[in-house]
Amino acid sequence: MRIPTDLLEKLDAALRLGNSDEAEALAKTMLERGVEPVALVQEALVPTLTDVGQKFQNFEIYLPELMMAGEAAERVTTLLEGVMLRAGKPSITLGTVILGQVEGDIHDIGRNIVGILLKSHGFKVVDLGRDVAASAFLDAAQKEKADIIGLSALMTTALPAQRRTLRLFEEVGLRRQFKIAIGGGATSQSWADEIGSDGYAPDAASAVELFKMLMDAPSG
Amino acid sequence: MKEATFDLTLARKVVELVRKHNLKFDPQVLVPHDDDLADRLFQAGLDLFVGMGVYNQSTERRILFDRHEVVSAIAAAPGAITLGCGKDAAIERHRGVESALPCRMHSGPTGTPCSERLHPLILQACAQEPLVDFLGGGSVATYLGSPVIPGTPLEILASRKEAGLARRAVSQAGRPGMHIEDVAVPLTCAGKLATFDPAFGLRPSDGLLVSQLPELKTNYDQLSRVAFMQSVGMHVVDLMTPLVGGLGGGAEGTAVVTVASHILGVLCYGVSYHFMGHMNLHWSHNTDRLGLWVQAAAGQALARNTPLVTVNDLYTRSGLGTPEVLWEVAAGAIVGAVCGLNQHGVGATCGTRLDHTSGIEARFQAQVAHAALGMTRPHANELVLECLSHYEHTLPHPQPGKPFAELYNLDTLEPGLEWLDIYHQVCHALTQMGLDMDAGWRKVRHHANPN
Repeated sequence: MRIPTDLLEKLDAALRLGNSDEAEALAKTMLERGVEPVALVQEALVPTLTDVGQKFQNFEIYLPELMMAGEAAERVTTLLEGVMLRAGKPSITLGTVILGQVEGDIHDIGRNIVGILLKSHGFKVVDLGRDVAASAFLDAAQKEKADIIGLSALMTTALPAQRRTLRLFEEVGLRRQFKIAIGGGATSQSWADEIGSDGYAPDAASAVELFKMLMDAPSG
Repeated sequence: MKEATFDLTLARKVVELVRKHNLKFDPQVLVPHDDDLADRLFQAGLDLFVGMGVYNQSTERRILFDRHEVVSAIAAAPGAITLGCGKDAAIERHRGVESALPCRMHSGPTGTPCSERLHPLILQACAQEPLVDFLGGGSVATYLGSPVIPGTPLEILASRKEAGLARRAVSQAGRPGMHIEDVAVPLTCAGKLATFDPAFGLRPSDGLLVSQLPELKTNYDQLSRVAFMQSVGMHVVDLMTPLVGGLGGGAEGTAVVTVASHILGVLCYGVSYHFMGHMNLHWSHNTDRLGLWVQAAAGQALARNTPLVTVNDLYTRSGLGTPEVLWEVAAGAIVGAVCGLNQHGVGATCGTRLDHTSGIEARFQAQVAHAALGMTRPHANELVLECLSHYEHTLPHPQPGKPFAELYNLDTLEPGLEWLDIYHQVCHALTQMGLDMDAGWRKVRHHANPN
């Protein structure tokens, strides 16, 4: 069933305003009217949040608006996940991502933005926070059966920890089991090539595209 | 309180305060000349600080203060401080709006990484500039060629080495008592403490940065630095980086956060002076319209309502050795001089590229600031808009410039002809705009003796 235009517009507005309660209520109404959860994600959540992400990138809106829209989208995604699970249907998530600031780096905001955008686009995100030991990335990747691990480093002094984390995955023979991407102010494509990561994103918006591409890329 | 909850609460509170105090950014008035706006902004910053408190990441709890306690602490904060020692000691003071009181000039590799090989030369190139008053030790990523990993013995060794190099640089410049404001190699409290060595490294007359985490956050690592520095009598230097476009939202909200961050520096760190280091969330510079307005508005708010000693902290998009970097510096320096700040720069390339620091851009920043002393805000606004017209269009794709080794003679430590030519061209253009680039420093020496 196609999503009624008026409901689609209302959901779009609720997401943009970060009105989580209204967004969730509208999503429930759509489900009751027979809209498929996958259609709701593809026709409502992704287009709206892509546009919100682009506006944030262009400084037409700022972090608070992005955070609030992300929070509202997450509420809807959680609702839809529950519906799919109860119906015995496959998950609507694009994949599971582990994010974290590598050991010695205590900065948050850039990684938080990446997390919001990834969630908005349908990824399940497990954020380990800042100053994360290499072994913690490994443990989380195995526990969560992650698809991609995102290692962030804002400071040049954190770059060795990024390399060390990648090496740990190699040393335990699990490197090919996960895609590993890097980002953060101190990183670059040449650094990504040097340490052998699977991808590099210069900013939050391109991180979403990179992670989608990595999900489609063959392992190993 | 969970950190994410604190963030969201802060973001919503800022929106509410911007509306309540009717704060409005005008992209054509980057140096507002509205005293009431400045005072409303200060009240908004005070309201934010009292309402939110400070988030301690180590305990996941807020540190709260009542309004009376906050107002009393601000009133008791130092309005003048003696930095450095001996013949090189200098007093840095609270400055007023449109003040003729000279700005002090802080230089060094401001948030810009240096190569281990060139770092001593870059430090000396900055310290030897006559208009530079204080030196920042800057940062290197290696120690004897090995990466410096925070929390390891190498961090301690690298920190001690770089503190020693900063001391040597000021000595070789003939200014052994010059105040060294920080050594930026260490990221941990232990590394910072290792720089304290009155014989060969930092002394009580020097300082170290204590950081705030954006926005209005601290942790025990930072507070432990304060405990040590206060115990040995060092200057605690407040480093804040409110993000334009971040949790504070646009220019108005970031200005509110910036005022509140200064109050945090007073209440939690007991600092000697503050670096106003707000920066663009995407590109980490503060010389666009939003960043300049935040400096101007928050600077005036603090200048009119507190005795604090505040210093700007210029980060440019353009690389070293370009006309654009100097135009960015000129815009920031004029705003700072007229809006109650002292001067600190320059973080060329937003601090991302290796060795993009030399002494001449600090000389230039001081010259512009001195030439703008006593200027009215409307006049400053005209000049800032003119400066912007020389670089604003390049901000999305800035000129990369060249590193120190390609711009300076590494034997004589003098700027090369290429860099000097660019410097003279921009100085000439500013002179044509009415700024006294040659004699501004004389005004400082003879009309308003800072000491």
